[in-house]
Parts: sequence; structure tokens; C-alpha cells
Amino acid sequence: MIDVVAWVLVAACLALALWGVVGAVRAARPAGPQLLGMAVLEVALLVQAVVAGVRLVGGADVPSTGTVVAYLVVSVIVLPAGALWGIADRSRWGNGVIAVSCLTAAVLVVRLVQVWGG
Amino acid sequence: MAEARSLRSGPGRLLVAVYAVFAVSACFRASFQLVTELGRAPLAYLLSAFAAAVYVVATVALARSTPRSRSVAITAVSVELAGVLVVGTVSVLMPAAFPDATVWSVFGRGYGFVPLVLPVLGLWWLLGRRRGPSD
Repeated sequence: MIDVVAWVLVAACLALALWGVVGAVRAARPAGPQLLGMAVLEVALLVQAVVAGVRLVGGADVPSTGTVVAYLVVSVIVLPAGALWGIADRSRWGNGVIAVSCLTAAVLVVRLVQVWGG
Repeated sequence: MAEARSLRSGPGRLLVAVYAVFAVSACFRASFQLVTELGRAPLAYLLSAFAAAVYVVATVALARSTPRSRSVAITAVSVELAGVLVVGTVSVLMPAAFPDATVWSVFGRGYGFVPLVLPVLGLWWLLGRRRGPSD
């Protein structure tokens, strides 16, 4: 893993999670810019997964390939799933769902860095 | 259709999301443990698998939000609460019985104690919803 990039991703996930929490507290529905931010983050997570996948195929030395692959797969699913499930609810709770999905993505990237580094 | 959606709307929607996260992570954890090293700590790993199954059932039952799935969800969440309390207590009193962690070890400490709080919130949500006309 490229640690710096991963930590930037973690920071972005946490920022969007915070945005979701603020939205939920203010009883707002998920907003356009917020979803756009999630889309950009999703692209970055996809790039990370592809780069990591290429390095795995190229024989990168990781302690547990299965775990890394599992984290990578879930890391690209969690934001779209959270966004779809969240925006379907016309209340503050949709923002809560988005906050949970962004927080989960942050945890996944942190775990990924830990597992990759052994 | 408001009644049919009731369990998975509002706070229920957030609950389903958190349950889904735990269902997925518990499934991955259990399958890795079972596939790679079942012999090392069979009790802990079988408990992991059991916990994963409970989370999956609870997630699906909450998300389906039908009268029948409500009963299923109440049962699953009750089993989950009993599981985290029993496994949590045993893992604190007899750590040797759990050489490797399950999602419920030490009341879910490895997961920020969310496994302990989640079933309480789940039961509060499920039992707090009055049965509507079509519920």
C-alpha cells in the first residue's frame, strides 16, 4: 500500500462521515455535494483496489492475501451500498446511513494498511 | 405502504446498515478462521460462524420488514444479545477458553463495543414499534 495515499483516503472518508453526522443532527437529507464527494471517494477507492490488485497479482508480499482481497472488495462496495440505502430514506436517518458507510470505509482502509504492512 | 416499510425506515434504516456491516465482517472473519485454522480454536471459530449467521438473519429480517420477519428479527436480536453477554462474560472470566477472539469476545471490545450496544438498540426499535394494521 502507498501509505500516504491511504491516509488521505481515510481522512476523506472521515470528513464525509462527519458531514453525514452533521446532516443527521440537523435533520437534513443527504445533499448533492455530499453524494458527489462520495462518488469521487468511490473512484479513488476503486483506483486503490485496482492498484493493490495489480500489485498482488505481480507477487506483492503480504501476510494474508485472502484478507487483503476481502477488504479491497468490501471497500469498493460499501459507499455505493450506503448511498443507495441512505438516499431512499427521506429523513435524517439517510444521512446516518451515509455516515456509517463512510466510517466503515475508513476502518477498512486502516485495516488494509495494517494487514498489508503485516 | 407506510406500515410495510416501517421496520426499515427512519432509525430502522440506520440499524439495517449497521447490521449489514456486522453481517459482512462476521461472515468474512468466520470463513477465514474456519478455512485456515479450524483446529486451533474450534470453539471460538464455530462461535464466530454462529455470530455471523445471527447477524445475517437479523439484517435480512430487519430489511424485509414483514410481520413474519419482525418475529424472526426479534428472535435473532435476542439470541445476539444473549450471545454477546454469555460469550463476553465467559471470555472475561476464562480467557483460556478463547485463545482467539470472536466478534463477541470481551463484549465486542475489538469492535468498539458496538456488538454490545447493537442488540439493545435493535430490541428497543423492534419492540417499540407498535403493530400497525398490516404489520
